[in-house]
Amino acid sequence: MTPATVPRPFWPTPGSAKMDPVDFFSNHIFRMVFFGTTTIGLVAGALGAFAYLRKQSLISDVIGHAALPGALLAFLAAVVVFDVSGRSMLLLVVGAIITGTLSALFANAVAARTKIAIDTAMAISLTTFFGLGMLLLRIITNNPFPGKGGIADYLFGNAASITRADLTTSIAIGAVAVFLMIAFWKEFTLRSFDPVLSTMFGFRARVIDTIMFSTIVIAIVIGVKAVGFVLMVAFIVTPPAAARQWTNTLPSMVMLSAAFGGLGSGLGAYISISMGNVPTGPVICLVLFTIFLVSLLASPKRSIIVSAMRRARARKALEAEFMTEGGAS
Amino acid sequence: MTLACESRNLSVAYREDPVLRHVDFRVPTGSVMGIVGPNGAGKSTLIKAMLGLVTPLAGTAEFFGQPLDAVRNRVGYMPQSASVDWDFPTTVIDLAVMGTYGELGWLRRPGKSERARAMAALEQTGMQDFAKRQIGELSGGQRQRAFLARALVQAPDLYFMDEPFQGIDALSQQAMIDVLTGLSASGKTIVIVHHHLGSVLDFCDHVTLLNQSIVAMGRGEDVFTKDNIRAAYDAGNGAEAFLADAG
Repeated sequence: MTPATVPRPFWPTPGSAKMDPVDFFSNHIFRMVFFGTTTIGLVAGALGAFAYLRKQSLISDVIGHAALPGALLAFLAAVVVFDVSGRSMLLLVVGAIITGTLSALFANAVAARTKIAIDTAMAISLTTFFGLGMLLLRIITNNPFPGKGGIADYLFGNAASITRADLTTSIAIGAVAVFLMIAFWKEFTLRSFDPVLSTMFGFRARVIDTIMFSTIVIAIVIGVKAVGFVLMVAFIVTPPAAARQWTNTLPSMVMLSAAFGGLGSGLGAYISISMGNVPTGPVICLVLFTIFLVSLLASPKRSIIVSAMRRARARKALEAEFMTEGGAS
Repeated sequence: MTLACESRNLSVAYREDPVLRHVDFRVPTGSVMGIVGPNGAGKSTLIKAMLGLVTPLAGTAEFFGQPLDAVRNRVGYMPQSASVDWDFPTTVIDLAVMGTYGELGWLRRPGKSERARAMAALEQTGMQDFAKRQIGELSGGQRQRAFLARALVQAPDLYFMDEPFQGIDALSQQAMIDVLTGLSASGKTIVIVHHHLGSVLDFCDHVTLLNQSIVAMGRGEDVFTKDNIRAAYDAGNGAEAFLADAG
């Protein structure tokens, strides 16, 4: 595979109309893209459920943007201080987790201790960290650091760049996040649903929040190479919103959200590769949106179509009642 | 007389406005204490400040002679009902099980015995048939009974309840009063914030009249005098109508 000429090819072979699953899965890069994005979708879907329940879906946007300076600082530290390659997935994930978590805790601390509302606090946190990230990005691109090629991909991602090592790292770190979620399930649930009782029981809010936001951060940063920080918000926000339409208990909501995320991402990756020179992350976003749309329209209990029909029927029944009453008198 | 809880010199301010001034609130063990006063008297704030949910300007609170941290599992709190997300994906039984989370502590999960206790508490409040319902599908009274069941599961020795009868039907109210009477008979202490003067003595044996500071506190019949009520409600603030009513 030749390094970027103009314009940067997303896939080593141009897409063909005759792509079938056998062709697809016999190609190493396609397999990496498929399993890499599926892992990202699965983990982000599961952890996103708690962001949804905390009414902080947009915290993922803050974290995604704030992860950029962390990843870039990790790159700089590796290249300048330790004199090693700055492009390892593990390295950038560690850097991104640190600044991502700080941004989430900062926004929540501002909202908790001042009169400033959480949306404003999130916006301030996002723009500050992202501004720092853009500054670092410019510094890196303007200087002859080794291995800096393609570092701007952190913003929008490049699914074709997923290596086997990246996939292994994603699965390992994603498993840690999911494990933490299961281990602290009770604490996460109570803190999300009834923070007052959680405090009354003596659970330290700061401890739970740090763990909870760390897991959400992990779910976001493992997507950075494939999807980029900017679009990762869709992976966190959309699957739980869709899953909530179908279930009434937390375990089933988390599992369904993970399934939507994983399936949507795999399907999106498959479609984007089949279509040829089409970026994967954006296609996955559209697939996830389709799942969301179907959930809004078709879920048995909360469908907007069913509730509209129910209202219309009730109105008719009411009118009929009036008519018969009017006739009787 | 032993005290289930007491506050000393408790003062709270929201921004610059004082809400509570030098409150020495004392609840005898085993009593049912009603906190009554006009809107803005600081009734909910008193409870929240004692429980550390609002930071007081000055003063301390003790429970069974100890700071709250030492006796957390012996103190229960039922907040005003509007304060949770009713669309949260949780069922009535799951809600009741949450009452065991405090004693379980970090990382331990509720098991069969916790679920059995939760179910028993739902039966006590007449909510067993709704165990599998999502909490948003309940009426106001059912919601309060579900939250009361959670408080029962926690099995504290001292209950704080903030307006538990607000916006509920007569049936739910009676079911809750029956449960409270049972708790009181078994020696538990109950503190209830209540806004309806006329019905306080139906289930409270002690009353505190509060209007930023304590106007009167003690046994119900001793406290509930016309002069005290007038003093607490600054003439005309609903109290006159009640007094006229009561004769």
